[in-house]
Amino acid sequence: MSSATAPADFAVYWGAAMSELASLPIAAEITPNPLRSNDHAAVYDVRLTSSGPYRIFGFLTVPHGDGPFPTLLHTGGYGSVVHIGSYEDRQNYVTFALRHRGRRLADVPFAAAYPGLLTTGIANPQTYIYRGIVADCCRAFDFLAAHPAVAADKIAIIGDDLALLTAALRPQADALYTTPGFFYRAAEIAPKTGAYPWEEFNDFARAYPDQAAAMWATLAYFDPTHFAAHVRAATVMVTGNEQDMLSPAVLAPLVAAFSQPVTQVVSAHSSYKDGVAQATWLARRYGLGAPVLPAHWQ
Amino acid sequence: MSARNLVDYGTAVVKPADFDAFWEETLARAASIPLNATVTPVPLRSTPTVEVFEVHYDSWDHVRVAGWYCLPRQRREPLPAMVFYPGYISEPTLPKGYAAKGYATFGVAPRGKLRSNARFNPGYPGLLTYNIVDRHTYGYRGFYVDAFRVIDFLLAQPEVDGTRIGVQGGSQGGALTLLAASMCPAIAAAAAQAPYLAGMIDAIALTHSYPYEEINEYLRLHPGARDAVTETLAYYDCHNFVERIRCPIIVNIGLNDDVCPPETGYEVYRRIGSAQKQLYAYAGHGHDSNGYGHAAIVDEFFADLLRPVPVTA
Repeated sequence: MSSATAPADFAVYWGAAMSELASLPIAAEITPNPLRSNDHAAVYDVRLTSSGPYRIFGFLTVPHGDGPFPTLLHTGGYGSVVHIGSYEDRQNYVTFALRHRGRRLADVPFAAAYPGLLTTGIANPQTYIYRGIVADCCRAFDFLAAHPAVAADKIAIIGDDLALLTAALRPQADALYTTPGFFYRAAEIAPKTGAYPWEEFNDFARAYPDQAAAMWATLAYFDPTHFAAHVRAATVMVTGNEQDMLSPAVLAPLVAAFSQPVTQVVSAHSSYKDGVAQATWLARRYGLGAPVLPAHWQ
Repeated sequence: MSARNLVDYGTAVVKPADFDAFWEETLARAASIPLNATVTPVPLRSTPTVEVFEVHYDSWDHVRVAGWYCLPRQRREPLPAMVFYPGYISEPTLPKGYAAKGYATFGVAPRGKLRSNARFNPGYPGLLTYNIVDRHTYGYRGFYVDAFRVIDFLLAQPEVDGTRIGVQGGSQGGALTLLAASMCPAIAAAAAQAPYLAGMIDAIALTHSYPYEEINEYLRLHPGARDAVTETLAYYDCHNFVERIRCPIIVNIGLNDDVCPPETGYEVYRRIGSAQKQLYAYAGHGHDSNGYGHAAIVDEFFADLLRPVPVTA
């Protein structure tokens, strides 16, 4: 099944997911973390209630001094750990590193398996784990938008597909810096590779052939193509190069699905060059001048 | 930041007088613990060309350690083997792709990683400073042993040619690659990328990036512990292990690496004892250390030395 067309009940599905989230209090518990705090910023351990209900976790950093500050919400990549906001970013931004359900520090009662998370409950869109994980990302955004140290009109979301989906479901986000991942046209792309995490879809299809069609159908609810038109944030999309699975050509339909221009950046496959590009773009957007960079990036 | 400064930085790491005795005792105690390895098929992750197994074995303090073991279905035994060591925050790879190239492959999850964290779970951040004031109970003591015992497991497998074992990894995986190549003479070839845990006491003055920043954070909260931390780290620093390496080895570093500063990469490479070593220092690259472009060099390096027979569909 192709995910080029959104499921007929796409809006109903996500409307229900967001309604469920909205029905629950955020119930933020903010605990100072002196070990991780430094001369530039205070660090806090944050616990929030998300859909389920489920308690999720995040590391919040707040610069010393007068706010409100522009804010970076890191939704993280595919893995159990998301680092605390960097030493450099902490100097000018509020940062929030989300540990969504299943990740470390948010792994009770549900501990994600890697590999495994990507297909947890995938045979039914109502039980698919990412329905809750996307809600977790939105909950983190909601928390930040209400925080007194945060400039609510200057929240940037950074990450893979989760960042894009969050920006669509929270159109008040100011900026989106996204590197598309495994949800984009998964039914077409996954069978062309043996690389994880895509291979998790292939593993599932091989092991449970009678549920493969249901899996691809569920994934259609998460294809960023169907979210892109709702994004209002200024957007940078990092693509692979022409030899990569997610090349500019492959991602062209996703770019076209946005209702506004998207700045495309081809990854240099250099954490240094890609990191400088991201830091520079964000600093420029928020009028911070030259970005604060690690010594080896200067 | 000029290349000259990076090359000549040197190190403040001092090798403790009882370093060798400490590790001889550690390995002797570890050797007294039977592996008690179990190998369980994992049909969910297996393919028509590669069988996947989940392995568990006992290690330091009898902690049970997990790993993924992959074998080509159509194999001409004995197989060369390839160990993949994981990074600091990443979970171990499930190396089916390399198995299809004709290797018995192993992706290890040392203690604290998922599936190996029932009894030891310092978290991330956390592992780097777990009992950092005491070399005897420092978290990496058992973690290193876990990495070494993969080789014991492979040597016990009838389908593995024990003279053709390779190891590789990036960042913490690069460090474990250097450490295993130092301490496990059976290893025939090694490829370390952006090695971490090398020149640790130097690195904390060079960068504020995680994971090394964990040590800076610890010392801010415990300023009186600096001497004890320095002493402990000396027992675990790659700088003090790698003179033992005798196998062919390649190392790649990024000259703009903010995570594992290149100053430490040059120094650890200089100390490697192998006569067959080569450094690839990539300008314009950070902690990725040009892994994207360097992968083909790694593949060719191992193929030449370990002679795998690729799987035919």
